Formats: sequence, structure tokens, C-alpha cells
Amino acid sequence: MATINASINITSDIPYSGFSLSKTMTMTKAGLETGIENTNGLGVKKLAATTAVVLELAADATASGANKLYIRNTGSNKAEHVKISFNASASADTTTENIGRLYGGDWMLIPWEANGTTHNVIASPSTADEVTTIEYMTFHE
Amino acid sequence: MATIATLSITSADLLPSSPLSINATSTLMKADNSVDLHMMESGTGELTVAASNGGVVVKEATTAGVGTAAKVYLCNKATDSTYYIQVKLHDIILGRLYAGDWMFMPWAQGDTDAEISVEAEGGTCPYEWAIFKEGETMVART
Repeated sequence: MATINASINITSDIPYSGFSLSKTMTMTKAGLETGIENTNGLGVKKLAATTAVVLELAADATASGANKLYIRNTGSNKAEHVKISFNASASADTTTENIGRLYGGDWMLIPWEANGTTHNVIASPSTADEVTTIEYMTFHE
Repeated sequence: MATIATLSITSADLLPSSPLSINATSTLMKADNSVDLHMMESGTGELTVAASNGGVVVKEATTAGVGTAAKVYLCNKATDSTYYIQVKLHDIILGRLYAGDWMFMPWAQGDTDAEISVEAEGGTCPYEWAIFKEGETMVART
């Protein structure tokens, strides 16, 4: 059993009184208090085209578990982004479920249903004018 | 005006060869430029299994939100490890937030059928959420 801790801290001055939150979670298996112990490791992709690529395959994880997905656009360009979506393949755009855009420096950590082939993780850079570097990792059952 | 989101993931024993340490910091800005996000909504609630059966919308997607750089934070504050919140983006399940789990994600609202909904399973789940987003066009007075 592994112990994986993930902490988030958000500070904002959007409200006049300010806003902050801090949370830490220990990644555990579905319905249990034992830790998640599988990962495909920390991956890095350097993308020089706008072609969609598969980052992670849902088949590698147990569907409907307590899986987690981390992705970061390591760049600093806030004018360009990488679109993250779930899909059966990198080419089947008609069935893509668009999650959101990670601009330079943005990151995400979400639960991952990993159900069949519909939850493969796809990344599509917005530009081919510069290399988009993506860091990603899954924690799964 | 700035909103900063910081992440830390650590584990001493997940990887056999070395400790894991991931750190990331992002200043949340509008799409395609360097202007800070300047709107925020947040709230708390309590999801009962029966009342949330089929899903309760946390936030509707809007036409104005399509292609923006909004970010969503959501946390299941339940303490029973068997209780979870199923999070959906319109008709696709993102995944399950078990007791104590949180998530943070971009929300581009690729179309207006991109609402975020939640559903409690196992038992009542207190939860909290926050959305950081771009401005909205105000409705003209009639």
C-alpha cells in the first residue's frame, strides 16, 4: 500500500475580503481506507503540432474506481493552450468530450472514471508554432 | 487582481526507485491573454442520495463561457470512506470523489451542454465548490 497525498492551495483577491482555501487528500481505493498503489509513472510529451495525441488509456485502470488524473501544461505562454478531452481515440473528434483548456502553467487534478475506451485521455495543442510540453500522471486501482 | 492555485503531490513509497514530488503553481488568467480572471462564485451544500438521484447541477454552462479559461474546484467533505460524489460534465462521468477527495479542473464549456452536475452515492455528502471565471455581459434593463 502506498501513501499519496495531494494538496491544493488557492488564494484570490477577487472578493474584497480575499479568499483562500487549503485542502489535502490522501488518495485511497474506492470505498476503502487503503492507498492507491498503481501508476503508469510521470509522463512528459513535447508536442510540436496541433495533432491530438493520447496521453493515457482507460484500459490501464480499473473503471469506476477512485482513479485520479493529473495534467500540467508546463509552458508559460498564456496565449496558447492544450485542450484536454476524453475520447475513444485521438482521431475520433466527433465523440470527443471536451473538458477544458490548460493555458501555459495551468494544471488539473480530477477523478478519472476510466470507463472502457470512452475515457482515454486526449491532448490537443492550440499551436504548432512552439513546442507544447505536457506533464501528466495517473493514480489508479 | 490575482488568483493563484498551487498543487503538491507527494509520496514516499509509490515509486520503488525514488520519492514522488510534484509541485505546480498557476496564476489563473483569461483565455488567450494575460489578464487575470476576475469573477468568482462559491458555495457549500449537502447532497442526499435521494435528492441528488440523477444529478444536481452545480453550474450551468453558458454561451458566453464557451472557450474561456474558467476553473472549477469541488470537494467531497464526507468522512465515511464509502460515500462518494459522482461528478459529470453534461452526460459524461468524469469520475468519483470519495470522502475527503477534491478536484480542480479547467472548464472550457465547449458548448452550452457542458453543465457540471453531482450525485451522492452511499450516503449524504456535504460538499463545497468554487468557480473562477471571466466576466459576464450584464443583461440590459427593460
